[in-house]
Amino acid sequence: MPVDTFEKVYLPNIERGETETLQQYRAQGGYEAVRMALDMAPGKIVEIVKDSGLRGRGGAGFPAGMKWSFLPKGVYPRYLTVNADESEPGTCKDRPLMEQRPHALLDGIICTCLAIESELAFIYIRGEYYNSADVLQKAVDEAYEAGLLGADVLGSGRRVDVVVHRGAGAYICGEETALLTSLEGYRGYPKLKPPFPAVSGLYGKPTIINNVETIFSVPLILTKGADWFKSFTHERSTGLRLYSVSGHVKKPGVYELPMTVTLRELIYDYCGGMRNDHDLKFVIPGGSSVPWLLPDQLDTVMSMEGVQEAGSFLGSAAVMVMDHTVCPVWAIENLAAFYRHESCGQCTPCREGSSWMHKILMRIEHGQGTMEDLDTLASIAGEGKPNTGMISGRSICALGDAAAWPVGSALRCFRSEFEEHIKLGHCPYKNKRFWMADGKFVNESFEHRPSWHH
Amino acid sequence: MPSDRLRSLPILGSRVGEIEEICAKYPDRRSAMLPVLWIAQNQEGWISEDTMKEVAEIIGVTAAEVYEVVSFYTMFHQHPVGRHHIALCKTLSCAITGAHEVSAYIREKYGFDSGKNISRDGKFSIEEVECIGACTEAPAMLVGETLHGDLTPARIDEVLGSLDKIT
Repeated sequence: MPVDTFEKVYLPNIERGETETLQQYRAQGGYEAVRMALDMAPGKIVEIVKDSGLRGRGGAGFPAGMKWSFLPKGVYPRYLTVNADESEPGTCKDRPLMEQRPHALLDGIICTCLAIESELAFIYIRGEYYNSADVLQKAVDEAYEAGLLGADVLGSGRRVDVVVHRGAGAYICGEETALLTSLEGYRGYPKLKPPFPAVSGLYGKPTIINNVETIFSVPLILTKGADWFKSFTHERSTGLRLYSVSGHVKKPGVYELPMTVTLRELIYDYCGGMRNDHDLKFVIPGGSSVPWLLPDQLDTVMSMEGVQEAGSFLGSAAVMVMDHTVCPVWAIENLAAFYRHESCGQCTPCREGSSWMHKILMRIEHGQGTMEDLDTLASIAGEGKPNTGMISGRSICALGDAAAWPVGSALRCFRSEFEEHIKLGHCPYKNKRFWMADGKFVNESFEHRPSWHH
Repeated sequence: MPSDRLRSLPILGSRVGEIEEICAKYPDRRSAMLPVLWIAQNQEGWISEDTMKEVAEIIGVTAAEVYEVVSFYTMFHQHPVGRHHIALCKTLSCAITGAHEVSAYIREKYGFDSGKNISRDGKFSIEEVECIGACTEAPAMLVGETLHGDLTPARIDEVLGSLDKIT
C-alpha cells in the first residue's frame, strides 16, 4: 500500500469498523461546522460549497451548490432528503460512512438544512441496511438529547428535525424522483423532470436530494475551507473520493483517495494487485451501469473527466474488477438480469428492452444464440453511450440507459467472444453455474466445484 | 379515524401507539406506509392480506393501494418465510467470488429440497437477491437483519450452524 501524504477525513479508521460516539466526534471538533453555519447567512454557506466545486457523489456528479441554488426564493417549507439508498451494484461506501461516523453525517445534514433553509430532513436508507439504520437512529436520538437537533439547534432558535426512513428493496428508489414517491408512501416510480425536485419535490414542495457522501463533505468544507477541498483536483473533480473496489483484487475495500489516482494505482498499489496474480480481463469503473474499461486503459485517471475521456463514467466510483476467468457474456447476463429485475415497469422501452436483452444474453451464454441475436442485441442496447439503441434516452429516468450501456459496451469490447459462444454452441469458460429461478441451476453438467477464494 | 377502532385491530391493534408516533413525524400520514409495513412484517414474519387490510385502515387508504405498495418492494414477503430468512446476494461482485457455490452449499446442507426456497423443517428460507451493498466483502448474505460477508463453507456453518442449534 503506498504511503499517502494527505489526511484521510471521511473514513480515517475504516479497518477498525467501530462506530464513532458523539463524545468522540465532538472531541475532535465535531459539530463545530454547525456553529459556523449558524453564524453565517444561508447564502454564504451555499457560496462556500459552490466555491469548493463539490459535485454529487451518488453517480450523476451534479454540482451540489448549484443544485441548492435552484430552490425558488421565498417558498417554504423546503425539505432535505439524504439519499442513502446505495443500491448501484459495486457501491458500498455510504454504509461504512453511516455505520462508523453517524454523527459526522448528522453534522452535514444540519449544515445543509441551514444552508437551504429546511427544517425537516429525511434519510432514505435502503431496507437491506438494517444495521446502518439502527446506528443512525441511535445517533439521531443522541443528537436530540444533546440539543443538536430539534426546535432549538444549539440554542439558536433554528429548527432541524431528522427522520430515518427505511426503504424495502428497490434499486429504482435511488433515483431521486422515485425516492420521493417512495417516501410519500407509494411504489417507487420515477417522475418526469422538469419540474425538478428543487422546485416541486416531496409533497410538491421544494426538495434537495443529496447522496450521503455529498452531505458528509459539507462540514469538512466549512471547517477546512473550500481551498483545502480544491487542493485535491483533477480538472473539474475536486475533493477526496471514496472508491469501492470489489471483485478479483487481493484487497477489496473502500479507499479514500484524491481523484488524481489512476486505475492502475488503485488496482495494483492500493488493492495489492489481482487475486492469484491472474490477468486482468476488464473493469467496471463506476458502478454496474457504466461502460467497461479494458486492460489497455489502466492509466485512466479516476476523476469524472478522466473516466469520461476513457469512454465511461466515474458514476458512484464503484470499481468492479474481473480477472481472465470471467466470461464477459456470463458477466453481462448477470447484470442484465439485475436491470430486468429492477426496472420499475413504467416505461415500455426499459421494461421490455431490459427483459429482451436478458433473454437474448441467456440464449447466447447457453449456446443457443444466433448471429442475428447479436444484431438484435446491438439494436436494442446501442453503442454503450447515451441516446443510442432503443432504450437509452427513451425512458422517464436513467435506469433504461443504465441497463443498455453496459450491454452495448460488452458487445463492443468482446464481440469475438459473443461470436465464439454462438459458433461453439456453448460457453467456452469452465466452472460456472447459472441461476434460473428457485435456486435451480441451468448447467447441471457442472462438475468441478471451483476452489473457494478465501 | 377513531383510534378505538384502530386499537381493536387483531394484528396491529397493540402497536397503534407506536404507529401514531411514527405517523406524527411525517407531514403526510401516507408516508408512514413503509414504516408501518415494516412493523407488521417484523411482528408477523410476512405480510398477509389481513395485515394489508389493517394497514389500509391505519394509513387511511384502500387495501388495494397497500397491496400495490407491498407487491412493488422485494423485501416485503407475501408468503410465510422460514424462522431465519437468508437473502443471498447474486449480483456480479458476489457472483464472481462464489455466490453460486454458496447457494448450492446452503441448499444442500441445510435441508432445502430441489426448487424449494424453504427448508424441510421450516427453519430456514433462502432467496437469491440482487446487490445488497456488501460488494467489498463478497460473497455476502443477510441472515435476518445481520450481514455476513466473505463467505466460505466454514463461515456459513458458523453462522447458520449456531442458529440451527437455537431453534
